[in-house]
Amino acid sequence: MKRREFVQASAMVAAAAFFPSRLLGKASKEANAHRFPAPMEPRMDGDVKEFRLFIDIHQQEIVPAFRIHTLAFNNQVPGPEIRVQRGDKVRVLFENRTELNHTIHWHGLHVPWRMDGVPYVTQMPVMPGQTFVYEFTAEPYGTHFYHCHWGTLLHMQAGMYGSFIIEDPDDPIRKKFPYSREYTLVYSAHDVNFLREELNSMLERMKERMYLMKHGRFDKERFAVFDSKEEFVDAVEKGYLPPYVVNRRAPDELPQPNWFTVNGKSYPMTPNLYIKQDELIRVRLINAGTEEHYLHLHGHDFWIVADDGLPVPQPWQCNTIRLSPGKTADIIIEGKNRGIWTFHDHDTRRVTNNGLYPGGNLLALVYEDLPDEETELDMMAKKMGLNNLPLVALDE
Amino acid sequence: MNFRKLLTVLLALGTAVPAVLGQVKPEIQLGARGVMSFNANVVSGESTTAVNDFSDTGILLGFRQKLYNLFRGQLVIGMQFPDAESDLGQVFFHQTFIKVEDQKNVLKMGRTRVRSALIEFPTLRDDDALLFTDVLNPFSNGENTEDNQYGNVIELAHVFAQRYWVRIHGEHFTESPEPPATSETDFSLNAIGVSFEYRVPETQIWNRPFVQQLGVGFNNFLANREGGANRANQVLKNVIVSAILNLRPDPVYFWDARGQVIYNVGFDEVKTLAGWRDMARARSVAAFASLRFLYRKLERPTLQAALSLGYKTFPELLEKTRQTQIVANLFYRLGENFDAVFQIQHIQFEGSLRALYGRRETRIQFGFVYSIDQSWNRQFDDRESLLNLEHGYIP
Repeated sequence: MKRREFVQASAMVAAAAFFPSRLLGKASKEANAHRFPAPMEPRMDGDVKEFRLFIDIHQQEIVPAFRIHTLAFNNQVPGPEIRVQRGDKVRVLFENRTELNHTIHWHGLHVPWRMDGVPYVTQMPVMPGQTFVYEFTAEPYGTHFYHCHWGTLLHMQAGMYGSFIIEDPDDPIRKKFPYSREYTLVYSAHDVNFLREELNSMLERMKERMYLMKHGRFDKERFAVFDSKEEFVDAVEKGYLPPYVVNRRAPDELPQPNWFTVNGKSYPMTPNLYIKQDELIRVRLINAGTEEHYLHLHGHDFWIVADDGLPVPQPWQCNTIRLSPGKTADIIIEGKNRGIWTFHDHDTRRVTNNGLYPGGNLLALVYEDLPDEETELDMMAKKMGLNNLPLVALDE
Repeated sequence: MNFRKLLTVLLALGTAVPAVLGQVKPEIQLGARGVMSFNANVVSGESTTAVNDFSDTGILLGFRQKLYNLFRGQLVIGMQFPDAESDLGQVFFHQTFIKVEDQKNVLKMGRTRVRSALIEFPTLRDDDALLFTDVLNPFSNGENTEDNQYGNVIELAHVFAQRYWVRIHGEHFTESPEPPATSETDFSLNAIGVSFEYRVPETQIWNRPFVQQLGVGFNNFLANREGGANRANQVLKNVIVSAILNLRPDPVYFWDARGQVIYNVGFDEVKTLAGWRDMARARSVAAFASLRFLYRKLERPTLQAALSLGYKTFPELLEKTRQTQIVANLFYRLGENFDAVFQIQHIQFEGSLRALYGRRETRIQFGFVYSIDQSWNRQFDDRESLLNLEHGYIP
């Protein structure tokens, strides 16, 4: 995104947040559209759909006045959405513009095993400055995602994830529930202090390692990579101290997430789901983070129609869904109860920003045909100088 | 409302307000360094030993947080065990300062390390070669080395392009009381200085392979000079020049060299050395240089060996006066931040210095050093982290 476009988009986002009366207005809806990962346009090479992804360090504003350094595909968190048809031949050119190692794992896809993106198992890591070409056929149908599989604990919460949607002309879910619109929500959780310290530590370590690599000096013990388990055990018996013993990394504690995002943003900058009375919408839920989420929709029972991308044989209704790390789920919401309804984690520790409620992954289902008079506030609110619902409340 | 009632209300408010508002937890930093050595000294042929020398052992406690704008505030309190004969008591509070900083400016106020040197050298204790490595405090009686290292400081630094530092500093250096007085009563400004430094941040050591540091500093003591015609010629001027060069910037076998020269312009009338004050006020040139080898096995220091040489001359004295020093040491890491250490140093005095220090002194030390640097509630990044230096600064 060019700087001017970014500034314009940011201004729209800010305007939408602080002038809630415009929630149903055109500007607000346009700003909201930016909060979903836009599908990436492929380049056709014969019958192959070719996508270009690069990874770089990027600053992400999770909420106004709070920025963090992230690892971002194509300078956005989440990365761009890859959307193809079932059976398409797909090629992804992945360029590493950072000084860290990376891979891409295609989570839920049935790719050839050498394309699975697990470092030292299916491929060598994609090292700084390198480009790796992933090729596979898009299978199976459904909601999936991609993420880095190097230093996964850090790299995923640093932003290296994106949705991968495989469509099917004979989509059984659309046949059963003829929805008109769909949304993708990618959930994550971030210990921003762990992230910052570990990212710095990794960058420092990699500067040393790149120096050695440049001079062709690979030392298995220093790089902590061995040919086999037997070789590793033998090295330990001869006095080698593995990293987990000397704790060569900076943070010595497991991360405790303190920011919870949907599509890279926390409340009040999370996206809204727009719907109309009697409309069906499909929502693709992806948990790319390390925390479980118990997503609850007010005022509705939604249909669970797919689990890990697979259509469920018999959709069922509920109003709270458990979304484990690595899980995807598709739900259908029926526009049956006009209003503005919150959709949030019922483990309300995740509805916080740095410990302060409300925040985190709180978002709203908004009926866009809601009459203005229904959003009017009472006299007390008017005395406070407020206009109409829903307001941005940052400290309850 | 009478005074007692008012006091009661104020006290109640004082305890209630923080409880209601709560507060952002500050970042808490803890630094500690224990230096224990067995010493064997031979001074002009006479030998003595110290079973346990724990001088330079100290602890630092820091608190840091973001302010309401782009600035950060910090409070540091530290104490140290000084040399046994220092006359400073059992414990010396060497650091008590507040720092306010943003990306490019740093303001420091309080008692802290004075800018009497531009770089540090690889010796066991900070003051092992103080006669060569630091501008000497002309107000001290030389009873201890802390008078030269710590003072009441106000310093403003500005950073250009991440690695160019300009510092303006004013100090009150400790003035040893003239008997019968037993303590200082005047804490006014008695030194001012400026320095300019090119310094590669430590995190980028592998990016900038050769020159790590170049610096020049000017220290001026507002001295009381007998017969000084005006204020200007009562100022004792010192010039410091320093450099650190990476000879072999290898992550495993690392070699570097560093050197510093201090030119003390001095006062013409000082022709003999009757004591510390003369030594600090006589014209002199002091040079100190170190060659260091560092072996880092698994991305952590494993072994460090250093050889340092010092030479100092007093060209304006009636008697040819000079001193030389050699320091060699070896640190071997036994565990995270825990080192076994051996050091030998020899210093030789000529001319007027012999009456003060004897002909020569040799000191052999072996012991252990344990240092930690921990922080809790970390909430923001350091100015010189790689993320802030190379990927945009986040306040």
